[in-house]
Amino acid sequence: MGSNNLAGTSVNSTREMTRARAIKRFKWITISPIVVIFLVVLMPALILQLYFSFFGWTVYLGSWWDAEFVGFEIFEEVLTDERLGWAVIRSLYFSFGSTVGCFLVGFGLALLMYRPFKGNAFYYIMFIIPMLTVPIVVAYTGEMLLYQNGPINGILSSLLGHDIKVSWLADADIALTTVMIMEIWNWTPFSFIIMIAGLASLPKEPQEAAQILGAGKFRVFFEIQLPLLRPVILLALILRFLEAMAEYPKIWSLFQGGPGSVTETIPVLIYLTTWNYFEISKGAAQSYVVMILMILIVLGAIWVLRREKTNLDQMYK
Amino acid sequence: MRLNKRNKKYIFEGFRYSTLTIWLVIVGFPLFWIVGTSFKPDAEWFAWPPVYWSETPTLSNYANVWMGKEELTVTQYAQSMQKPWKALGNSTLVALVSTSLSVFFGAILAYGVSRYQVLTEARMFQLLMLRMVPPIVIVAPLSLHYSTLGLLDTHLGLILVYFLTTLPYAVWMTKSFIDEIPMEIEQAAEILGASKWRTIWEVVLPLARSGLVATFLFILILTWSEYLLALLLSKTEVVTLPVELSKYEGSTEGRVYGRQAALAVGITIPLIIIGIFIRKHLARGFSFGMVRR
Amino acid sequence: MAHIEFKNLRKEYGSTVAVKELNLEIDDGEFLVLVGPSGCGKTTTLRMIAGFEDPTIGEILMDGRVINELEPRDRNIGMVFQSHALFPHKTIYDNIEFGLRMKKIPAEERRIIVKEVAEMVHITPLLNKRPGQLSGGESQRVALARTLVTKPSTFLLDEPLSSLDAKLRRELRAEVDRLHTRLRTTFVYVTHDQEEAMTLADRIVVMNNGEIEQQGTPMDIYSNPKSYFVADFFGSPSMNLINGEIVEENNKLAFKNNQLKVQIPDHFSDKVSGKVTLGIRPEHVKIKTDGGEIQDVIDLVEPMGKDTLLYFKAGAERPFIVIIEGLVTNDFKSGQSVGLDFPDDKVFLFNEHGQRL
Repeated sequence: MGSNNLAGTSVNSTREMTRARAIKRFKWITISPIVVIFLVVLMPALILQLYFSFFGWTVYLGSWWDAEFVGFEIFEEVLTDERLGWAVIRSLYFSFGSTVGCFLVGFGLALLMYRPFKGNAFYYIMFIIPMLTVPIVVAYTGEMLLYQNGPINGILSSLLGHDIKVSWLADADIALTTVMIMEIWNWTPFSFIIMIAGLASLPKEPQEAAQILGAGKFRVFFEIQLPLLRPVILLALILRFLEAMAEYPKIWSLFQGGPGSVTETIPVLIYLTTWNYFEISKGAAQSYVVMILMILIVLGAIWVLRREKTNLDQMYK
Repeated sequence: MRLNKRNKKYIFEGFRYSTLTIWLVIVGFPLFWIVGTSFKPDAEWFAWPPVYWSETPTLSNYANVWMGKEELTVTQYAQSMQKPWKALGNSTLVALVSTSLSVFFGAILAYGVSRYQVLTEARMFQLLMLRMVPPIVIVAPLSLHYSTLGLLDTHLGLILVYFLTTLPYAVWMTKSFIDEIPMEIEQAAEILGASKWRTIWEVVLPLARSGLVATFLFILILTWSEYLLALLLSKTEVVTLPVELSKYEGSTEGRVYGRQAALAVGITIPLIIIGIFIRKHLARGFSFGMVRR
Repeated sequence: MAHIEFKNLRKEYGSTVAVKELNLEIDDGEFLVLVGPSGCGKTTTLRMIAGFEDPTIGEILMDGRVINELEPRDRNIGMVFQSHALFPHKTIYDNIEFGLRMKKIPAEERRIIVKEVAEMVHITPLLNKRPGQLSGGESQRVALARTLVTKPSTFLLDEPLSSLDAKLRRELRAEVDRLHTRLRTTFVYVTHDQEEAMTLADRIVVMNNGEIEQQGTPMDIYSNPKSYFVADFFGSPSMNLINGEIVEENNKLAFKNNQLKVQIPDHFSDKVSGKVTLGIRPEHVKIKTDGGEIQDVIDLVEPMGKDTLLYFKAGAERPFIVIIEGLVTNDFKSGQSVGLDFPDDKVFLFNEHGQRL
């Protein structure tokens, strides 16, 4: 430590110190607008949410600041509420299903397209369009295609020779799957562009080396490409999953949770509780539970992504 | 029979084009349908068997939705009471301003992170929280809070939340572009006598320009198509286009597919043009340093 | 024109020490080459002169004035980077003009200076192109020109030729040498290539592990290496270095390992014992077709054109090499046994710590 103290007292490090100070000031200048907006916009909302979770209030009960402290009562009610449990399960089902669907299709297309071929650009442009389509537009397009007199039933009818009238949107058994298919249609391009970028960025030499050493196409894929792609694959899966957990425009605009409650995912349930039943406190407590759940999931995701990125940084040093 | 290399290639090519074409149909049919529907007269919207391509295409849906004119069509539906031009104005204002803020502050922060490590990598990832936690969990108390601040149903209110929720993408994406500008180029300018700001203005900005444009358009796609926050934080006064579109669904006159399609096509076309324009950079918006070049 | 002095310069990055207590003076107009393997601290030293790195301890003086606190742009130095670092969005003309604009020199004058300097490094036809259209050699010339226009008191060159191929490298090496002769300003040149160091330098500073291993004129460094490291680093092919030990025989000291034994010259006799390394440059070994102190079998004959290299085993971990002038493939064949003689005044001995004895 002796020499370090020497360094501290040395006149020569003042420039470094002023520079370090300047960087620190710059850091605060750049972060402060974000911090300010966070503190002014989000922070009070988070506090209000906490308040409502502990003070029972619905819009029928007078001013919200007069609400009565009820301790963990609302949390207990929410946590023992089967409806929230089902909403979580439905959200997970919806997210897993659409994530896997998007990934499989997107990765498959990327594998067929990452090497240049005739028509490459045309297919690429066509395939990214669904992602550029506003989600609410996707919802209505889906409705127009799938409603009972819609073209999907029309095509099925002409293929099978008799009238088919599947109620894609009203049948409780398939409604959630229907919207999942729309989600897959909407977001396959997302997995597709990430995987195609990942495949294109893989170094060629190791693959060629493996080929020379006698590996066939499948071996090269499973032993070279796939392991090298792991970070990109995880990224594509994680981001898509998280975005699907928040999916709202399609499910809400087409189903509002129905038929029955088969499409009542987390966002829909919170919306209904808060804006349809006006049970603000219950909605807040549900939100809190979901927020903590999601934060845990996101922290896990961040941990995975950081580990992969550190790996990559070492590999491409 | 052993396949030689050439035959294998033919088989693969056949497989490739047939698979891609199948997906092309899956992607293309809904797009074809909504565009087709936007030109259909009222009677064909719900016809069975479905009308795949109208024999009597009409512009009346567009005229009705965008101009509020009824004379072009004989209709059982009342004239639309919606105001898409106002919504278009709202959407444009909110999307442009929030995207500009996001890219501006995002780029400055990204420069600091790239050159001076003002945020650690851990902090950079924590920034993603702003985007990754579903907004529904905060929107109810936020609307109450907004109403006390007078931000509910205002442009500013929406701009602020859009700024916060798109910032993580803006920072990560601009950083990926700034990282590609070698430090040595900046140092060369510096040693030739340029000040820090001069260096940023003459060297960094021109080199990052195309990346900044790509980031801007990328974020614009996100803010333009956002639905949930727009619906819950500004439903009545400051209505954006996606919310405007969803109002047709709840209209008392029943479902008006042609009108919806005409509006939907209008909302989506700008995004598709932008997206195709920046298609090479789209992956970067989501890659968070995971895709190496 | 500048005289540069380091006083107890030390640079740490966290717990790793890049440069240890460096003391060095660079004379006005001198061409100084910092040379050493990668990670030896030479580039860090250069960047401290430029002002891109701040020393942890110690002072940098320029013409007697401490410049630690000065920003890079206020130090009146020029730097040529390894990657050339041209501004890719500006034309060559604008690249070269940049430094002059920063100095607020009037436009009229700027044009004259740019023309003049472009002429000097033979890039006049390139002025309207952009960096992306240039070859490696051309962009290096532009990088030189861009630095030249500002008339810096000191040129810092960070491995400027390492990205070029061998032929271009030789060409530009000569160009740099000519520039120095013409300008007579201080040049500090960093390289890991001993040949560049030998040909360019007035004085070479050999660095290793953040310390100065040896400094002196190229001739001095070559013929009088103070350590195993320096002996090994300079010369191509490098010095033959054989591990072994000193034994006493008939009251005389000899160097011995499991394959060979040589008498060691008398002037060593009172200083040496134990394990040592014997070194002799390839061109100093004498070959005798009959007789000679050591008998060994030629392993490989490598004609180089002007010279011929003979490879022997000679008990070394790496091949023992002898250079003979001229093409002599007819006189020597692999498998042939010949005699090797080590002239007394050309033999070096290094102790276990690599110090010259």
